[in-house]
Amino acid sequence: MTTAAAAPATHKLDFEDLVREHQRMVFSIGYHFLHNAAAAEEVAQDVFLELFKRLGTLESPEHVTHWLRRVACHRSIDYARRNKGAAAEVSWDQLPEPAQPARHSDLGNSDPMMSKHLQQMVAALPQKMRMVVILRYQEEAGLEEIANTMGIPLNTVKSTLHRAHAMLRAKMEQTIGKEWGEVNA
Amino acid sequence: MNRLEDELKRALERVQPPAGFAERVLARARAEAEKPARSRRWLGLFGLGLAGAGSLRWAAACALCVVLAASGVIYERDMQRRRGEEAKDQVMLALRITGSKLQIAEQSLKELDSTSQPQQ
Repeated sequence: MTTAAAAPATHKLDFEDLVREHQRMVFSIGYHFLHNAAAAEEVAQDVFLELFKRLGTLESPEHVTHWLRRVACHRSIDYARRNKGAAAEVSWDQLPEPAQPARHSDLGNSDPMMSKHLQQMVAALPQKMRMVVILRYQEEAGLEEIANTMGIPLNTVKSTLHRAHAMLRAKMEQTIGKEWGEVNA
Repeated sequence: MNRLEDELKRALERVQPPAGFAERVLARARAEAEKPARSRRWLGLFGLGLAGAGSLRWAAACALCVVLAASGVIYERDMQRRRGEEAKDQVMLALRITGSKLQIAEQSLKELDSTSQPQQ
């Protein structure tokens, strides 16, 4: 598929290639933020449709990547605000316990139950904090990049991430046990 | 990097979107691309041709100017008519006052005449 009608004819960016290249990134931002596949797909489709309309104004593949990440991030936050209850709301205080908590001896290995529990914990974080954590660990974005993407000061990113770590660590110790904290320290 | 960060990276790995996601996006984009073409066809019926939205904006702006100018003219004419009616009412009032004064004066003259005649 070629570029949007509004895009100049000389533009080298192909919309179909961009969708296939970036679909995992855009969908995952929505999925980890909203914790709901249908809502994430709706957000991701809207983001790509917006890209289709604006393709002519984006200069390079790097610009497209940055633009998509920024728009996916803001659209996800907007969706959560607009559809309170539609996306799976996870309450921080009522997070379920992991079905099979990792034992001390297992801590060196990856535990799917632990990952699932951690996903729920991230989904229960306050919105801005949640997005900072997603950009940091899903996208492996630098602190400055997160600040640019979210349009917030660098120091706010640092303090938000610090608070998120403290909250998640405390919850992990509470649900899995002190040994997790000891290994983690 | 500590254990929490390792686990977060693992938990927040990118996931694959549902099957057919890209195709659905492309279908929506195709539908979106056809939308302006359809509206341009409608605009053609009104003589706005391929210029489309730009011409429509100009036409709307011109129509707005015409409506504003016509409203101004109508308002001005209405004000003139009102002023004319007010002036007419004032003239009529003045005439009525003058008429009643003349009547009083005439009445007084008649009374004077009737009282002065028997004495002669």
